[in-house]
Amino acid sequence: MQNILKKKSFNKAIFYTFMAICFIASVFFVYHNEAFYDRPIAEVIKTEIKESNPVTDMYENEDHLYTQLITAVLKNGEKKGKLIHFTNDYSTSGAFDQEYHVGNKLFVSIKANTDKNGDLTGTILDVKRDQFLLIVAWIFIFALLIVGKRQGLFSIISLIVNSLVLSFALDLYVNSNINLIFISGVCVLLFTVISLMLINGLNEKTYAGIVATLIGTFISLLISALVLWITNENGIRYEEMQFLTRPYRVIFMAGLFIGALGAVMDVSITMASSMFALFEQNQNISDKALRTSGMDIGKDVMGTITSILFFVYISGSIPMLILYLKNSYPLGQTLSMNLSLELARALAGGIGVVLTIPISLYTSIFFINRKRAK
Amino acid sequence: MNVLVWLTAILFILMIVIGGKKGVRSFLSLFLNFGVLFITIFLMTNPKNSPVLLTFIACTVISWISLFFINEMSSKTMTAFISTMITIVVLLLFIVFVTDKSMIRGFGEESVEEISIFSLNIGVNFVQIGASVIIMSTIGAILDVAISIATSMHEILHHNPLISRKKLFTSGVSIGKDILGTDTNTLFFAFFGGYLSLLIWFKDLSYSIGEIINSKVFATEIIMIFCAGIGIALIIPITSSINAYYLTKKREKTENAS
Repeated sequence: MQNILKKKSFNKAIFYTFMAICFIASVFFVYHNEAFYDRPIAEVIKTEIKESNPVTDMYENEDHLYTQLITAVLKNGEKKGKLIHFTNDYSTSGAFDQEYHVGNKLFVSIKANTDKNGDLTGTILDVKRDQFLLIVAWIFIFALLIVGKRQGLFSIISLIVNSLVLSFALDLYVNSNINLIFISGVCVLLFTVISLMLINGLNEKTYAGIVATLIGTFISLLISALVLWITNENGIRYEEMQFLTRPYRVIFMAGLFIGALGAVMDVSITMASSMFALFEQNQNISDKALRTSGMDIGKDVMGTITSILFFVYISGSIPMLILYLKNSYPLGQTLSMNLSLELARALAGGIGVVLTIPISLYTSIFFINRKRAK
Repeated sequence: MNVLVWLTAILFILMIVIGGKKGVRSFLSLFLNFGVLFITIFLMTNPKNSPVLLTFIACTVISWISLFFINEMSSKTMTAFISTMITIVVLLLFIVFVTDKSMIRGFGEESVEEISIFSLNIGVNFVQIGASVIIMSTIGAILDVAISIATSMHEILHHNPLISRKKLFTSGVSIGKDILGTDTNTLFFAFFGGYLSLLIWFKDLSYSIGEIINSKVFATEIIMIFCAGIGIALIIPITSSINAYYLTKKREKTENAS
């Protein structure tokens, strides 16, 4: 017994040491990876404000505009080590521009002509953000591992595998003519099986959860599609997706499909787990008792899970709503342009969540009875 | 008729049929939360108000509604409320720091066309708004974890009145772990669904990996997903320790009294 314990803590120590090494190595790498980028990267070494003016736009919004002179040193490419100068205009609000500080690393384009000192000039294209992304990713990984241990590890694995599946599926869609709804149908199947197995292991609970999730998601998609068809999509504004050169409708439906999936899985696995727990406590529990307790659990989770969806979707449009409102756009139009897709997604997801409650109730009872018969 | 009206009506009917009284309450709280969010956005348009402070107030009101309106005021919901507030403060500080450092404020590359007709110098602090967006999208999940753990820990103490503070804390964390898996899952897929069009856009333009990772939109999305996960992980020990502390303190008091 003691040996097993020792071995376990030894394995743990190895695991954490390994993670720590990965962390240090990757952070070191990402701070020194300029050579791996084709685009020129420059690090800001001096900034100077040349001009600053208060401005008022036509809607009486007050802001401050600045012009910044930046000196930076190139970090990669043939001209590595040379100085380069930029001018940067930015505002205090920073809706689409920003102030740069000493130490920022920027992607730049170099202009052919050089100034009289032999220094280069150029324009700023983008900010190098990979180092922050990596650090936040590590904080995420450590937070999940420390708090969640095994479950945390499985959520991380599930996130990675699911994003790979999604990325692969989208490659397939972009490069071929396969219908997106069909592709996302297959994805939904894979996502459900992968995530629920990782959350819950291979057992009857998981099977009940998978069946309930699939039925619930498909029915809710059917309902949403039906509503869109009956109303002729009245009230849905696709302007937000105008950057796409593809049919908006299909992509929106696919997003609806995948977006509701997590919430539906949440409901069905919660219901299945607690109903199986009830059954394991008392093997002779009647179907009727199971049904009432299952329904109570469902009612409890219904509100919270739908509100998770609402907050996720609606929060994303906050910046755009503010921009529209500050530009004196009519309120009704602002809302319908920016919220119609999000609200439709949230509502469709909510419908899926609520519908899944009775569905997973009956699938769980079905699987429990099958187990009982054995 | 309008799609949204239809969908809302269907959701409402389903909630009543399946959830009964509780369903009506859940629907009402969705409605109220939407109202709070809306008022917050309105107040944010005034540059004199700090968006982060407004977000904090909005989160307080939202938690109040979800905890004390759907579930009644009790020691359970009180501890859940306190833990939610602590988590939000910690997370908010972290997120403001991250959004500032990684410069993910404002609008991304995909909306260039849409915003080109607008005046962008509107005086509102977009760094803070970026932070607000992230915290607002996580508040639902944070509340869910807080109330689930508080409820189960009260239940555990009820069944096992002599349990030690440390054991109570560990059982709280182990309940949290189960919710961690499902709630992070809910958020991941919700984000995936919401960003599907962006992902297709990236694939269409055949951006290189380096360009995608460093672009503002993608960085924002990823940081949002990570921060949401961090928030859910963070509230588990916080709410478990507060509940363990409160419940054992309460037990000591009743013991002394008797």
